[in-house]
Amino acid sequence: MTTADLEQLEHELPPGEPVDKKIAGKSPTRIAFERLRKDKVAVISSAVVLLLILMGLFAPLICSLWGIYPDNSDPASPRPSEVLSFDTFPAIGPPYYPFTWEHPLGLAPRTGYDNLARLLYGIRTSLSVAAAATILSTVIGVSIGLVAGFARGWLDRLISFVIDLFLSFPFLLGALALAPIIISRFSTNLEALSKAQVIALVSVLVVFGWMALARLIRGQVLSLREREFVQAAQVMGVPTRRILFKELLPNLVAPIVVATSLTLPAYVAAEAGLSYLGIGLTGVPSLGQTINDAVNSYAEYPLYLWAPVVTVMVLVLALNLLGDSIRDAFDPKTRR
Amino acid sequence: MAGFIIRRVISSFLVVVLTSMFVFALFFLGPSNPAGPVCEASGKCTAERLALIEEQMGLNESVVTQYGAFAKGIFVDRTITIGSEYECDAPCLGISYGTRGQVTDELLEKYPATLSIAIGGAMIYLTLGVLLGVLAARWRGTAADRLLVGGSLLVSSVPYYLFALLAWIFLTLQWSIFPATGYTPLTENPGAWFAGLLLPWVVIGVTFSTQYARFTRGSMVETLGEDYIRTATAKGVKSNKVVFKHGLRAAIVPIVTIFGLDFAALLAGTVFTERIFNINGVGWWALNSIQSPQDFPVITATVLVSAVLVVVANLLVDVIYSFLDPRVRMS
Repeated sequence: MTTADLEQLEHELPPGEPVDKKIAGKSPTRIAFERLRKDKVAVISSAVVLLLILMGLFAPLICSLWGIYPDNSDPASPRPSEVLSFDTFPAIGPPYYPFTWEHPLGLAPRTGYDNLARLLYGIRTSLSVAAAATILSTVIGVSIGLVAGFARGWLDRLISFVIDLFLSFPFLLGALALAPIIISRFSTNLEALSKAQVIALVSVLVVFGWMALARLIRGQVLSLREREFVQAAQVMGVPTRRILFKELLPNLVAPIVVATSLTLPAYVAAEAGLSYLGIGLTGVPSLGQTINDAVNSYAEYPLYLWAPVVTVMVLVLALNLLGDSIRDAFDPKTRR
Repeated sequence: MAGFIIRRVISSFLVVVLTSMFVFALFFLGPSNPAGPVCEASGKCTAERLALIEEQMGLNESVVTQYGAFAKGIFVDRTITIGSEYECDAPCLGISYGTRGQVTDELLEKYPATLSIAIGGAMIYLTLGVLLGVLAARWRGTAADRLLVGGSLLVSSVPYYLFALLAWIFLTLQWSIFPATGYTPLTENPGAWFAGLLLPWVVIGVTFSTQYARFTRGSMVETLGEDYIRTATAKGVKSNKVVFKHGLRAAIVPIVTIFGLDFAALLAGTVFTERIFNINGVGWWALNSIQSPQDFPVITATVLVSAVLVVVANLLVDVIYSFLDPRVRMS
């Protein structure tokens, strides 16, 4: 049999589930999904999240259709001197001139960048950084947790100690310390700098973000490994790697999904926060960085601040509420 | 009991030592040259000057020697050469590249601001959170309870710094409900100290209290379901007394853990709070010291001190917990 056949077979025969039953057996994931569909908060927040994801995903397309530019690297973009009066506030649109469809959210003071374009690209940056960090920290956290829980003994003690070590490191100060070091390692020119910042930011988020999940998974594995099916697999001589990833991992889907869905908003918030502090991203459009710029000109130009603040708020809120609904959906205690 | 505490103390000490090594390695063996900022700060930086400064700072020594010198400085006085010679009294955490003052002295100077924020905020969020949680548990299932649970979910779903920023913009900048924020030492002018920190306290208090309300509510709901509560009610003890005396006393135990860790995190550096409300504390100091030219000794010191605070808080919480809950000692 080829691997494709095997996959087909696995698809037809879900492990550990009787097939020839009249009452359809539902996997926990499936039950959770069905409950989610009935949850109003979950439906609304996932619609909002989807909309924001699409906005981020199609940011370049929307911008080119609208004819707006997030910066002036494009030769077709308007020069700052053309759109700004006295090189400070925009000569068209808010705050001093009426609304224009050319730049619905106005232009940034001093730089003349289009705010809508910055916003769309900011969502794009924010979501991609958060997604990359979530995937990486989930993979690391799950692997370490699996190994620690399954190995027990000295390896478990060592890993638990390392987890404690990382947890005792204050995140913000750690990020403050780590970011410039990673950046200075990669930055040789300005082009590379913005890439280095993204790498630095993702690494900082991952370095300080994997411990909670590792701990959670370790605890789950500690109890799972005593169950009969694991012992049976061990008696049959199934290699440890296979036990970990084929026997234990499928039983950990619920906690992993729940943890992931709550990690994502935390990372979105952290990305915007760090960029607001000026230790995140400066080379690419970022919502936090725009907030930081806009605070100073709030008195004259409130819209400039409101757009990114509301976007971050809505994005994090929707993701958090969705994560919370997912947790409730997977929680057997709230199952009706 | 003694064995438990000794084991925890040893492992905490180990964590602190490893953290200090890690932080040290990060800066002094990292890709960027600590001599660079010093050299640039003093005008034109030639290759010879850079080499001389590196030599003076002991950067050519082995890693172990450098760390040894750093660690030794915590216990005995040492002299540090950065361009010229500086005395550094024990406990020495280095000499700031920026101000050329002793990092320890500057740290002690900045700490009162951060400590004031943390203590004031903690007092508000602890009392408010526990009170709300108890009341919600007592009137479980009513509209007030649902409002609290929903509201706390909503508040904790929005990033803290946005709350702080919006509060500052509206409450002090636009509507002037709160006095302008900032830090004045308590000993200098108690009134100004209070006025400048009022908004940060309220913001920290309100945002953190939602989390405590949820924890307390959960813990209280569980406790109020216990048999001894029913017994007390059946005996005719007044309902307020049952909830606050019999119930809360047992339900408060898990809150101790979270409080200890949160408080340590607040002490470790309220970076956002200090940045938004313009308070010159440890967080602000750390944030400034990473802007170029980077002030490595300052970053090392702040990270190290905060890590020690977190570790000590962890230790204290564990010890206190083991007194409060005998089951912890057994396992």
